[in-house]
Amino acid sequence: MIQFCDVCKKFGEQTVLDHVSLTVFDGQVLFIVGKSGAGKSVLVKHLIGLLQPDTGQIFFDGDEITHWKEKDFYPLRLKCAMVFQHSTLFDSMSLIENVALPLRKHRHLSHQESLKQALEKLALLGMESYADQLPAMIGDGMRKRVAIARALMLEPNYVIFDEPTTGLDPLSAEQVDQLIRRLSDELKVTSLVVSHDLRSIFTVSDRIVMLYEGKIHFDGTPEQFAACEDPVIYQFVRALPDGPMV
Amino acid sequence: MSLIAVIQQDLRSIASTLSGTLTSLFKDPIENKELWSSLYQLGYRSVFFVLLTLGFLGAIMNLQTGYQAQRILGDCAMVGEQMMPLLVRQLAPTLTGLMVATRVGSGIAAELGSMVVTEQVDALRMCGASPIGYLLKPRFLACMVMVPALTVFGGVIAFVAGLVVSGWVFGIQPASYACFDQVNRWDVWECCIKAFVFSMVIPIVSGSAGLNAYGGSEGVGEATTKAVVESCLAVIMLDLLVGGVIFLLR
Repeated sequence: MIQFCDVCKKFGEQTVLDHVSLTVFDGQVLFIVGKSGAGKSVLVKHLIGLLQPDTGQIFFDGDEITHWKEKDFYPLRLKCAMVFQHSTLFDSMSLIENVALPLRKHRHLSHQESLKQALEKLALLGMESYADQLPAMIGDGMRKRVAIARALMLEPNYVIFDEPTTGLDPLSAEQVDQLIRRLSDELKVTSLVVSHDLRSIFTVSDRIVMLYEGKIHFDGTPEQFAACEDPVIYQFVRALPDGPMV
Repeated sequence: MSLIAVIQQDLRSIASTLSGTLTSLFKDPIENKELWSSLYQLGYRSVFFVLLTLGFLGAIMNLQTGYQAQRILGDCAMVGEQMMPLLVRQLAPTLTGLMVATRVGSGIAAELGSMVVTEQVDALRMCGASPIGYLLKPRFLACMVMVPALTVFGGVIAFVAGLVVSGWVFGIQPASYACFDQVNRWDVWECCIKAFVFSMVIPIVSGSAGLNAYGGSEGVGEATTKAVVESCLAVIMLDLLVGGVIFLLR
């Protein structure tokens, strides 16, 4: 279980997170939604130590991780992986080397053994025939799948997806959505998905949290979200250009 | 932010990058692929640029020195003898350092900076790899090997260029030009120490600028400019410091 308690974060004079409290239960597919710049990615990056809160507390499986140092996060990152918005594959490495890297670094496996396991993971996502290619040689959808393979390499209990379907064609986006759902249903992986893709939000999520002006504006099921008459949510769900959200 | 605050922040960041890199040298395993790639990119691909620059500068220095000697003394026989200590002590290490700072420093800052702003560095941390250990250490080691080597190559080419120009323009015999009587062990030590110090400071200053980049492509541009300016300044200031200390020790 993950808990954010009264978390605040400022960048300069700009308050991005304003006393955010949130509990994520195991096995859930939780979508964190909101307009661009609402602080969605900032919130999830606190969980894995890529950012630290100004005030408040964060708990991960009962441990308070608020003031952990970089080294303390290494074991946590074995259990909690992240798929970044732009895939962030390393340009100088082939796809298989990208996927094998967490095994070499976290599990200290040999180069050969890590490549063998990475190939198996790539095969699961239908990418084994591209294993030796460089990231620049494949399309966005494929890069995203490789990034997901890399995130799943350590068989984490929690996976954070930062805008996983942004910039993908509808078919690739659908495949990514199905994968997120399967991870939860079959492997009981808890997924935190940062997104503003309405199709994904309503087809994949178990629960939706909306951030607005640094605060949690909504927390509920997709059905409640769709039926909500709150002007901000109404505007967001219907993608209306006019409304309280600028 | 005031200029002093900016300088303090940069110095803190450089000190932190240096301590992280030195710690990583003894702690993290060496990434062979990254190291070989860095040796090729930072060293081998700088050879032509450094040789060309040092060759031209060696020729220009000899031309100017010979011209002055001829004008004032009416004799150019001492040109080679006077140029050699200057070449060993100053020209070879410092000009090589400056050339490497511009070419390699900008490359390191741009590469690391773009990795920071595209979240590749965050992804690296998620994979369990330290950005300094994985990205900066191979570049640091590559500079430690290649900067002294480039200094030697640069010195040799500047010597050859000077030899050719002196012979061609002033009619100085090669045996007369290639006079190393004025070069002593202190000059050689000064050259070695400067090459060693520059090889450390360039990747650290540039790496620090790159790893602290923020924003988008504008941030990468700023980091690159900062890396070149600060690396060149560091080379010049350390040149004076090392030269001054050795002058006092002689």
